[in-house]
Amino acid sequence: MRTALLIARKDLRQRMRDRSAIVLGLVAPLLIAALMSFAFKGTETFHYQLGVVNEDHGAIATELVHALSSSTSRSILTVENLSSPAAARADVHDGHVAAALVIPAGFSAAVAQQHPESLSIVTSVNNQVAGNVTRSIAASFVAQIDADRLSVMTALAGGAPANTLNALSAKAATLRIPLQSVERPIGAGQLSAISYYSPAMAIFFLLFTISFASRSFFVDRTQGMIERMRAAPVRPAEILAGKALSVLVYGTLSLATVGVITSTAFGANWGSPFAAVLLGFAMVISVVCLTALVIGVARTQRQAEGFSSILVFGLALLGGNFIVISSSPPLMRTLALFTPNGEAMRGFSDLSTIGGGLGTVATPIAVILLFSALTGGAAMALARRAVS
Amino acid sequence: MRALAIARASTRRIIRDRTALFFLLVLPIIVIIIVGATVRGFSTFRVGVDSVGSGAAGQRIVTALDHSRGIDIAIYTDQKSLTTALARGEISVGVLLPAGLDAVESEAKPATVTIFAEQVNSAQQAAATAVSSVILGQGALVQSASFAAAHSSSSYNQALALATSLQGTTPHVGLRNVSADTSASTLPQGYSYSAPTELVLFVFLSALAGGAAIIETRRLGMYERMLAGPVRARTIIAGEALTYFLLALVQSALIIVVGAIAFGVSWGNPLAAAALVITWALVGAGAGLLSGTLFRTPEQASAIGPTAGIALAMLGGCMWPLSIVSTTMREIGHVTPQAWAVDAWTSLLSRHGTITTIAPQLGVLAAFAVVLLSVSSLRLYQRLR
Repeated sequence: MRTALLIARKDLRQRMRDRSAIVLGLVAPLLIAALMSFAFKGTETFHYQLGVVNEDHGAIATELVHALSSSTSRSILTVENLSSPAAARADVHDGHVAAALVIPAGFSAAVAQQHPESLSIVTSVNNQVAGNVTRSIAASFVAQIDADRLSVMTALAGGAPANTLNALSAKAATLRIPLQSVERPIGAGQLSAISYYSPAMAIFFLLFTISFASRSFFVDRTQGMIERMRAAPVRPAEILAGKALSVLVYGTLSLATVGVITSTAFGANWGSPFAAVLLGFAMVISVVCLTALVIGVARTQRQAEGFSSILVFGLALLGGNFIVISSSPPLMRTLALFTPNGEAMRGFSDLSTIGGGLGTVATPIAVILLFSALTGGAAMALARRAVS
Repeated sequence: MRALAIARASTRRIIRDRTALFFLLVLPIIVIIIVGATVRGFSTFRVGVDSVGSGAAGQRIVTALDHSRGIDIAIYTDQKSLTTALARGEISVGVLLPAGLDAVESEAKPATVTIFAEQVNSAQQAAATAVSSVILGQGALVQSASFAAAHSSSSYNQALALATSLQGTTPHVGLRNVSADTSASTLPQGYSYSAPTELVLFVFLSALAGGAAIIETRRLGMYERMLAGPVRARTIIAGEALTYFLLALVQSALIIVVGAIAFGVSWGNPLAAAALVITWALVGAGAGLLSGTLFRTPEQASAIGPTAGIALAMLGGCMWPLSIVSTTMREIGHVTPQAWAVDAWTSLLSRHGTITTIAPQLGVLAAFAVVLLSVSSLRLYQRLR
């Protein structure tokens, strides 16, 4: 055990002397996470400026403007009164408002007549969501009026005598659309960019340890270091344990430091500290096993560099370290769960949004450990050959 | 001529390295596929629907949601998976259609559709507004059919068919769309977004990481050996710069061809696109040379190069459109050459830009290329002397 510790200490000291280890383990994930934090500051909530041109000022138009300024609408939009349709078009074009609603003169008076006036929604190709939301709010507002008119027309088309039009209209005016919706919260938190990308970048740069550690092993072997250790005499298992321990310590320190700094400085939500630590540690174990696998499979330093680079980027791409995996198609979400980093990202996202503790991340931890057992088992057989 | 020979030798050395080839040629295509498949949701709400047991009435709501502008639906078979998907951000809102929804029609009983959304999450609130509007539209049909069935000789189903056919023609409060602009200030979604942005990202990133080759050449003493022959330092610099320029051009050409053929990306005006690719390749060549003279070990170039490349790409709008970040971040982003390159591609792909339209961006990129190539050449020259 002492020999393994000495080897681990030597490897760690060597790594810390090389500035690239500090860059990859600490500077890079913090830099990228900070960039994410600044980039998305204030943009994670949906809120837009809606220009309103009220050329009518009648009762229904006033009611519509009030509906737009209601507490429900206020959470997603702010009304800005504009003077004319031309001003609305200009303001939407220039981006001063995201969309605009024009209520034409005579709208209130004509709304119940045979030919009601149309509302105009001024939209920009650069902000289609605002246009669609404005359309939905306006459609919801006029839904009952239109439903009553459609009810009368359907009854007449279905055989009701034409002379009952006025009576039918009066009856229809008392109706309420029988299908309504109600909102219910599920109590989940919102996954912010910083809460997603902090673990994503910490894990991405943790994966680089595979490249560095496997490369360091082959450098040691080329320089005759492994042979000298074997002559000491040191058993192959002790050499492997020492190498694995150095990766374990470096990975844990890197992940923990990024976790602490991003939570305290950038407000990233890693969830329950206990669960996050266990999940992070499981991820570090999988990196140790993957490193051992690369060492076992590769025969030269060049091969080790090649295998590990492809492995690092392959895992990062599939596991969702570059893109928010929940936004991707279902096939990609499924593929992500076949990677240890994808499972870890699922766990960290769940801790941040659903909350909870160890129960939330029990499955990701179990899958990562299973993955580690499989890769580690294969690596053990192969790595003994590499050391011997 | 000697510079060409040096470029040929350096290029051959890089091409022989299968890992380098993977990063130069294979990885960009994989990233384009992944990002292209993901960057599709800026203007649509993803709505999860659990309609189990809601019958034909529920199915009609699902169809209406599916046909609504700005809504993409995903079907779930139980409430738990629906709410979990919402918590994970896989959908914008969840819609639970109650079992026995058919009773609204057959027995004229009012019914309520549950929309799962958080009050404090404004993006979910916006999606809930869109869904609520569609449900009211379906409710209007049910109201009309029930009313007509009660006040005419039609059966409920006959009246429902009548109401559906009349919905479009009955005078109603129209919602007229007026477009304030026709040309987008962002790249189109999907592969037309990922292909040009990944071209910008990878040409620069590969060049930065490729600086390791110059460091390795320096370490092996190959430059000294070259200088011992009748080769001048500036010839070596020209040869190395040419290597990075050619590799950047090959990488760009591959992305453009694969993008056009496999993903249907239209790269815009050919002359302007060619000018942009060449100018960006020059910027890449300058970055590669600078990386080769700035870092001391190949490990540093391989570690810091990709980190710097990714960070600059993020700032410059290669990972997300700069239109969604704050004005300050947009201004900071334009300190990087990437932002100018993405602006130029946006003009070509979204606004039918020409070489005249993108002249300002080309000018800025050319200035970046001149500065990077000058500084890196000077540094390499000092090291070679």
